[in-house]
Amino acid sequence: MAYKLEVQKTGSTPYVLIDEENGYLKFEGESYHENVVVFFKDVSGWLNSFLSSEFGSFTFECALKYFNSSTTKLLLNMLLDMDDAAANGNKVVVNWMVDEDNDIIIECGEDFKDEMNALEFNMITICANRNIAG
Amino acid sequence: MILDMLEYYNMKKRLNINVIYSGPIWAEGIEGIGAAIRNMTAFDELSLSVSQSIFSVFVEQMNNMLMYSSEKEVFDLGSKRANAPKGVFVLGSQDKTYFLQSGNVINNDDVEKVKVRLDFLNTLDKKQLREHYKTQIKAENPNTESKGAGLGLIEIARRANAPIEYSFVPFGDGLSFFTMFVTIGGNK
Repeated sequence: MAYKLEVQKTGSTPYVLIDEENGYLKFEGESYHENVVVFFKDVSGWLNSFLSSEFGSFTFECALKYFNSSTTKLLLNMLLDMDDAAANGNKVVVNWMVDEDNDIIIECGEDFKDEMNALEFNMITICANRNIAG
Repeated sequence: MILDMLEYYNMKKRLNINVIYSGPIWAEGIEGIGAAIRNMTAFDELSLSVSQSIFSVFVEQMNNMLMYSSEKEVFDLGSKRANAPKGVFVLGSQDKTYFLQSGNVINNDDVEKVKVRLDFLNTLDKKQLREHYKTQIKAENPNTESKGAGLGLIEIARRANAPIEYSFVPFGDGLSFFTMFVTIGGNK
């Protein structure tokens, strides 16, 4: 039975969707909880075991409008694991969804993309939405 | 003792203070103050870049206090018992320039470490700060529970439009009171 997890967002934690059957992971909203490591523990755990399996293809859609520095560190670690899986011959696509005037998240996406060697990293800018609280 | 509310109100007005928070720091509190800050930046019709910078410095200052404040407050909500670090946060503005101040009691053992880091960050320009952030994020142990100690201060320096000002005042008993002052410009 393929694993499926959906977590609704709160003020400081994002919406999370894990759809193992379709090889799909999505984050949306904001992430600045004081203890993001604990919040993302289940996701990181699932991701590690999924990426080390014979999964064929995987898509990660990241539509976070704001995240703090602790989250940045976690995201990069997840992306590096995805990149390793891509280097091992799997198809891995990252869609970095960002508002066109959200400079901080755009810059961060550019820096993450620089660190990737094997996976496909798409920067997808969407029309400005001034209400960043979503 | 009753606080003179009129005096307090006038002081806030005179010093152009929008938000003051003093007390234990925990996730729900950060969300609440954050919502107030978001309302203020929406009202001021700032660019997303400036409002995000203000919010980001606020979050990292709160996180920094969570990590370094050596003064704790125990509170008991029945289902939840916590030992929360205490701190003071102030946000002020004048002509769309924003001032974010944080204050907390810090152990003297940490003073030198924080001082050296801030002095170093203040020597870097924006491009160097971005590079330094990238280097640090890779250097830190991914499994650490340290909450990204070094990164928060770099993030603050990246968003500030002037060097980070700070002071350490002796607080007795091996402790100091640490104040951090960050400016973010409205016309950036």
